[in-house]
Amino acid sequence: MKILFTTLTTLMLATLATAPASAHHSAAQFDFRNTVVVEGKVMETRFANPHLKLIMEVTDTARGTRNIEFEGHSRNNMLRQGLQPDMFKVGDNIAIRIAPMTNGEDGGYVTAIRTPDGTEIGQVTSAD
Amino acid sequence: MLKIKILKRSVAGFLTLTAFAATQVFAQGAAQPDFSGAWTTYRGNGGAGAFTAPAGEPKLTPTALAARKEFQSLTEGTNYGAGNACVGSGMPSSMLGSGGYPMEILQRPDQLFVIYEAHTEIRRIYLGEEAGDPANFFPERNGYSTAHWEGDRLIVETSRLKTQVDSRYPHSNETTIREEYYFDKPLEDGTKVLAADMTMTDPLWLEEPFTTTKRWQAMADYHVLSYECSEPKWLDEMEGLYKAAGLKMVQE
Repeated sequence: MKILFTTLTTLMLATLATAPASAHHSAAQFDFRNTVVVEGKVMETRFANPHLKLIMEVTDTARGTRNIEFEGHSRNNMLRQGLQPDMFKVGDNIAIRIAPMTNGEDGGYVTAIRTPDGTEIGQVTSAD
Repeated sequence: MLKIKILKRSVAGFLTLTAFAATQVFAQGAAQPDFSGAWTTYRGNGGAGAFTAPAGEPKLTPTALAARKEFQSLTEGTNYGAGNACVGSGMPSSMLGSGGYPMEILQRPDQLFVIYEAHTEIRRIYLGEEAGDPANFFPERNGYSTAHWEGDRLIVETSRLKTQVDSRYPHSNETTIREEYYFDKPLEDGTKVLAADMTMTDPLWLEEPFTTTKRWQAMADYHVLSYECSEPKWLDEMEGLYKAAGLKMVQE
């Protein structure tokens, strides 16, 4: 699996306007100015409020293969953006756009998801 | 003769009072709108990307500024926060923001329920005979709210608030809030718009009363969802217990 780095020139205003992340904890740990796309295999999901929990098996040249835990928008916000309960499941390969950790560690805040059939919740292919 | 005069006056007085009361009931009943329904943050005619936040910032006293600075020094850049602990916003943040999530109003003659989706935070606004003396109730993050109608406007008075530094709008427990709810001009497509003029008064933490207006628009295509914020934490605890015991957790 590969990690694609994309630099945003603008803040993800539309995303942040609908994301209550800042209402629940500091957003300082995530770099919303430099979002990246991560592809991998779904190992665990928890569609919940206040945040999505997603564990994916990810491989890159720098750190090899490992499981990474991500968090993301609330279930309610993602549902309103078009996410349906059966769009992907454990074992599926998906792509996500994340705001990576500012400290460079694994993890990040999921702002968009591309499901196995190509459906995009938010904008994965191009930056928001 | 005297008895007859008194009786006549009493009957006349009773009839006048009855007629006055009937007029008032009719006038109020005819004018009172129904705010029931699901409401989301006002975006005007600008589409989904538009967002109109309540204007203005409260002018905090030195006492309030010091309290807020102290709180921020402990929490800024951390995961500590009321929302992350699954605690509701409290007034006036619940009414002015609530994380951008929608709200639902259920209205009956003696009580309005306002259900803010975020944290399933509930405000009860008591009218008429259901309205008690706020002094008889313990302070709450959303305080104790009573209301009355003035024509087609609902006037809500809130007191018994807790001192809150973890709020977008820090305030002391001396705070009182007045809200005036009314239907504003609908959108071009006829979508209903609900508005509330809000004034927060705090003799200890505000230099002057803070006034702003919040607007919502009707959610025609969706409804307010459940929001079980503390469930993930409980599931993590359960998972830990099962793992420690060498068992597989089946609960989702």
